[in-house]
Amino acid sequence: MRAALRVEMQKLVRSLVGTVTSLTLVLGTVSLLAGITAGVRAGQEELVAQVGPAGTATWDGLLLAATQIISAGGLLGAGVLASWLMAREFGDGTISALFALPVGLGRIAAAKLLVLGLWAMVVSLSLGAAVLALGVMLGYGAPDDEAWVALCRQVLLVLSSALLATPAAWAATLGRSLLAGVGATVGLLVVAQVGALTGAGPWIPFAAPALWAMTGGAEVSAAQLSLSVMTGLLFAALTVVACSRLQLNR
Amino acid sequence: MLSLDRVTYLHRGGDGIREVSLSVGAGEIVALVGLNGAGKTTLLRLLLGMLRPQSGRVSVLGRPLVSMPRQQWSRVGHLVDSPLAYPELTARQNLRIAALLHRADPDRCVDSALERWELQALSSRRLRHLSLGNRQRVGLAAALQHAPDLVVLDEPGSSLDLAAVVTLRQALVRRGAEGAAVLVSSHHLEEVARIADRIVVLHGGRLIGGIAPDDADLERAFFEVVRRDEAESIATGRGVE
Repeated sequence: MRAALRVEMQKLVRSLVGTVTSLTLVLGTVSLLAGITAGVRAGQEELVAQVGPAGTATWDGLLLAATQIISAGGLLGAGVLASWLMAREFGDGTISALFALPVGLGRIAAAKLLVLGLWAMVVSLSLGAAVLALGVMLGYGAPDDEAWVALCRQVLLVLSSALLATPAAWAATLGRSLLAGVGATVGLLVVAQVGALTGAGPWIPFAAPALWAMTGGAEVSAAQLSLSVMTGLLFAALTVVACSRLQLNR
Repeated sequence: MLSLDRVTYLHRGGDGIREVSLSVGAGEIVALVGLNGAGKTTLLRLLLGMLRPQSGRVSVLGRPLVSMPRQQWSRVGHLVDSPLAYPELTARQNLRIAALLHRADPDRCVDSALERWELQALSSRRLRHLSLGNRQRVGLAAALQHAPDLVVLDEPGSSLDLAAVVTLRQALVRRGAEGAAVLVSSHHLEEVARIADRIVVLHGGRLIGGIAPDDADLERAFFEVVRRDEAESIATGRGVE
């Protein structure tokens, strides 16, 4: 397993996809936040109305806006990366070289998912630091206790996005294509959005963590969050099984 | 070292292999030849666990494939379909990860592999910037650098220049001399005849005979074997694929 982990980490670190996804998530989020804050401070009424409670030039407003952006952006970024991690072996033609090794395909798949988790840790901490730095630059002063708690929820939201992106990894493996995984990612986002709009969000595994982060835990119970965790782990297991049973029959 | 015992695998369109029995012993170099679509790649995939046989038995390193301990795969080197060649990694990095995945020590085999395959000048270049032939060389180096006891190669000479073909030939002869079992599929009869102890012919998914590596006219001998098989098929009503 250690060998597989080393190999997968090296591949991700050297890849353009890993770098672009990470930068897009961190810099993209911070840029959007800076833009929203500039609009709020300029008194743009339409913008203030659209962003709702996030339309205040305070730590609360900044962190709520960050959570809203990350709830969709995090899942999208993690889904794209999860899809690429699995599908690239088919696209690059390297999948046949991963057979007949002392490291089985199931372990290689598990290593890829662990690397996805490690990536999420790095990105979540980077994003947290970037949002913190932005708030300080905007003159909000030192964050209070509530702001620190919100920041921690934001970090956990990014981590949960990686776990909830495992259906994309599974789809990319079954479909043997990046498009299958990206399509699944879009599907997850749609399910999460529809769930949130219809009020069923807390019971939708792909929406619950975002709702939890945005409402300070008020609208989502521990049981509902557990469902999200179990769903992510289930699809991770399905991905590992799909890889370990893979045949090159197409 | 490896054997197929009446193995059948048919793809959806009916292509594949039927009731194939083949064995390759330690120190033996066997060439597998056949026309396009004969089933060569299917046969090699079955040997390496990329496909599960619909009937029959595959044995690798003396054990049934289904129960072979995973660690035994560290004694196998293969290149079927495409090489282990990640475009974002350099030649050296690709060889290092290949060594890691085969549970070999990269520090003990990568440098000599780069030298043997004349890849030193390219060792720091990412594979996406290398030609097809050089990527194939990296793939072959990755398959052979850990001195495997069983070597399975599918059309290894494709895209190689003459120098690399000579290197490949020398590498396979060396592996065979050191007791490895080598199975190579190829379209290039002249090339495999130089090193093979046996040449077996696959046609329409069946092993139909062999050619003597020292035959003066290999192409004539190949087509004679095929012609005889097709005539027999017609006579027996077996049907030709």
